[in-house]
Amino acid sequence: MSDAATAPAPSSPAPSGAEPILEIESVYKAFGGIHAVSGAGFSIPEGSITALIGPNGAGKTTLFNIVTGFYKPDSGSIRYQGESIYGRRPDVIARRGMVRTFQITKALAAMPVIDNMTLAAARQPGENLLRLIARPRLNHRSEAEVTERALELLATFNLDKKANDYAGTLSGGQRKLLELARALMVQPRLVLLDEPMAGINPTLGRRLLEHMHELRENDGVTFLFVEHDMEVVMNHADEVVVMANGSVVVKGPPEVVRSDERVIDAYLGGGGDRNEPGPEAKLRAAKEERAAASEEPEPPAPDPAEPA
Amino acid sequence: MEASSVSPEGPGATGIQRFREYANANPAQVFLTVMGVIAFALLIGYGLHDFAQRSVNGIVTGSYFALGAIGLTLVYGILRLTNFAHGDMLTLGAYIALFFNVTVGVPFIVAMVAGILLTAAFGVLTELTLWKPMRKRKAGTLQLVLMTIGLAFVIRNMVQLFAGAGQQRLDINTTDTIQFLDLTIGRTQLIVVIIALVVLSAVAWMLRHTSIGRQMRALADNFDLAETTGIDTNRIVIFTWILSAGLAGLAGVLVVASIGSLNPNTGFTLLLPLFAAVVLGGIGNAYGALAGAMVIGLAQEWSTLPFEPQWKTAVSFLVLIIVLIFRPQGIFGTERTL
Amino acid sequence: MNSAAASLIGVLPDNLLLGIETDFLTQWQFWISVGILAGIYGIFTLGLQLNVGYTGILNFGQAGFQALGAYAAVIFVVELGINFYIALPLSIIVTIIAGILIGLPSLRLRADYFAIATIAFSEVIRITIQNARDLTGGNQGTISLELDNGIFFNESWLKVSSWMSENLFDPIGLSGSEYLGLPLLVVVWGFLALGAFVLSRLVRSPWGRVLRAVREDEDAARALGKNAFSYKLQSLAIAASLGAVSGWFLVLQQGSVSQEAFEPIWTFIGYAVLVLGGLASFSGVLFGSFIFWAVYEGMRAMDLPLTSDKDAALRFVLVGVILIALMALRPQGVLGKKEEMVLGE
Repeated sequence: MSDAATAPAPSSPAPSGAEPILEIESVYKAFGGIHAVSGAGFSIPEGSITALIGPNGAGKTTLFNIVTGFYKPDSGSIRYQGESIYGRRPDVIARRGMVRTFQITKALAAMPVIDNMTLAAARQPGENLLRLIARPRLNHRSEAEVTERALELLATFNLDKKANDYAGTLSGGQRKLLELARALMVQPRLVLLDEPMAGINPTLGRRLLEHMHELRENDGVTFLFVEHDMEVVMNHADEVVVMANGSVVVKGPPEVVRSDERVIDAYLGGGGDRNEPGPEAKLRAAKEERAAASEEPEPPAPDPAEPA
Repeated sequence: MEASSVSPEGPGATGIQRFREYANANPAQVFLTVMGVIAFALLIGYGLHDFAQRSVNGIVTGSYFALGAIGLTLVYGILRLTNFAHGDMLTLGAYIALFFNVTVGVPFIVAMVAGILLTAAFGVLTELTLWKPMRKRKAGTLQLVLMTIGLAFVIRNMVQLFAGAGQQRLDINTTDTIQFLDLTIGRTQLIVVIIALVVLSAVAWMLRHTSIGRQMRALADNFDLAETTGIDTNRIVIFTWILSAGLAGLAGVLVVASIGSLNPNTGFTLLLPLFAAVVLGGIGNAYGALAGAMVIGLAQEWSTLPFEPQWKTAVSFLVLIIVLIFRPQGIFGTERTL
Repeated sequence: MNSAAASLIGVLPDNLLLGIETDFLTQWQFWISVGILAGIYGIFTLGLQLNVGYTGILNFGQAGFQALGAYAAVIFVVELGINFYIALPLSIIVTIIAGILIGLPSLRLRADYFAIATIAFSEVIRITIQNARDLTGGNQGTISLELDNGIFFNESWLKVSSWMSENLFDPIGLSGSEYLGLPLLVVVWGFLALGAFVLSRLVRSPWGRVLRAVREDEDAARALGKNAFSYKLQSLAIAASLGAVSGWFLVLQQGSVSQEAFEPIWTFIGYAVLVLGGLASFSGVLFGSFIFWAVYEGMRAMDLPLTSDKDAALRFVLVGVILIALMALRPQGVLGKKEEMVLGE
């Protein structure tokens, strides 16, 4: 892990644009009696790389779910590219250019790797039933272009050889990369990564970070990632947001944040839920365990009848 | 919590929104009010006597519905199994009682006990041969649903194979009636209600106040977690099946006793009203199942006032659909507890 | 039967199985009848395959859609005097609308609740048919295909059927009463093959890709910008239309239509066919349906020493045992692909 983490980040350009790409303000969300998120808020400039850190139970993943539309907040405001996305459906938000990965990888195991990728491309005419039937040639052209783009992207993550294998045969780390590559197929403006470095080996991890920086440099893509690996955070993030107890404790450049007392307090002084892990966390832990157990790659029975 | 006063972006809270919030927070009150209004309207429209008579019938129906619904909801709550074969377990219990009562010739009570015990044993058998192995293999919803459907086919048709498809009757008196306050109830039906209420109270008490009841509730809350706290899950699961299948058997016998006759499809035709009761009350919630069953029973009988009786069963389906559309977690369901 | 086959079979004993009559196995009549039923329920199950095998939704209301297709078509022709060839597509439109109306409130429910909701809707349809005498005419929801004004539902069909007999089958020597069902068999299987072909192309398309993603993980699909709900609704609507088509053919095959043919048990039989042939395989549907109906009708024709209700019961016990065994031992079915098996949470 340290290999990838300590590689120095290429110097980051000053973030462009006056409008922050994402603004979160006073977001509250409670489950039953537990306040998962209470009054969280921060904003992210376009083209920046921001890390979101905090102890377990601080509300980071819940916040991700809220921002991407999977949970509806009890109150608060969320603005993406200047417009409110409060209460919008997750697929609508994704179509606007905000994509995310999941803590427990959601590689679609029952589909080949290449299908995982081509699935993600936006605005495909063939996905609309009527257009598919009425304009088959348009669909063919789009498929060819999308497939080519997918293979290129797979190649940068060294997954192109696996293009025709079912995603279920990939190792845990490969699936993580697939999920990221798939997210990038959408050609997003803002990418939210939930613990991207967890479970992947240093070489692949380094490649992931390099790619992240390239995308930021060349295309101005913004990144927000949750991470526990402090070396990665310190060396690759422009800004660090620290959450504890459901709200933001500190926000600033890495060097400033690392020595801030409140951050140290948050980690040592039980910055998670006041009580010990609540039912949601316990449930998540149980689910994670089960998911990790099922992440064993299974070789599929070769089916000669199935075309590539 | 401070947040409730911060208005979300978008249109401000309107009257409809406020009502929705109130309904979400107090579903039981809203539901009972609606039911009360309907009851009142029927009372005014059809007169006290007819309304009261139908209500009596509704309580009879509701009692055996409740016995069936509790078993269905227990198995769901603890094992997360939607048992489409449950209706046919009622049929099984009824036919076993029929066999002992009519063919062997024992008194009804003995036959009833035989029905309960043998159905309970059958339930345990299915657990040991089917459900436990499938749980081990982490079988998915489709597999389990289809297995319960297959089991339903097998039970129903085995019964038909041995007993034939025709209507059969128990050897008990179903014509004597009792009059009180100008209302009529069959003598057998009254006994059905009494037995049901006694058993239901016992089950409710057991769930709340005994150690095994507490353990069942713990398992329902979080199966894996409860396992780690040293509860003997196997024992509890077996007990759950004994209870669920036994109650189903009892319900089946009481259905036959109160309707007077049965055929192999009787139990299956009850399955959807039972689902309606369970979903209405909140799946996994035993008290909810009880309440839901009474509501469905009453609703079915009340519907015979404005509509013709052949639409009775459609009423429970409509209630089911409405609940699934507006509040799938049911009136009393918020978390999954017994 | 050509003479070679006939002489071969002539060598075999009449009672292949321990004194049980098995003569029917050599009769065209039997196999045509099996073929028609297999074809009808094959079309029925194509819809289930799309829903269960490719979208991950447990549609248990297919018999209700079949009922709507059948009754709508008959009512349009017989009571409203609409042309047969217009009534058929109209009945599909009616059924698709019903599918959308049913799907809108139910598709957001989780899998087993959706199953219960669709059974409930299907039963509401059937009970309404059973009791709405003035609409569906006749006793207990049975419509005969002719009304007083002399309009036959299957008049147009009979014209097609006799044309086919005269011009296609007579010339090759297949004339006579044994072959009466042949035109229907050919047409049903024509639709079935076409349907299977179109569907298998569809699921390979970008549209089908989204469907398969939704099947496995709706949230993943949504996170990629796909409106999972819309795709599930489309899948349900397509299945509904296939149910409707199977409804027409059921009417033509039975010569009348009665609500008993649309009880939930027939949806369950569709599922038995589905899992027999295998999930995520349209060719499996054809295979499964044929095997199922061959065995089912075979048992019926075998004249076992049982009363008819017990005979039926035995068959259904077998269906139940097959369902249980398949789900326990080989859930992907005979022709299903294990990797594409997404059995759900």
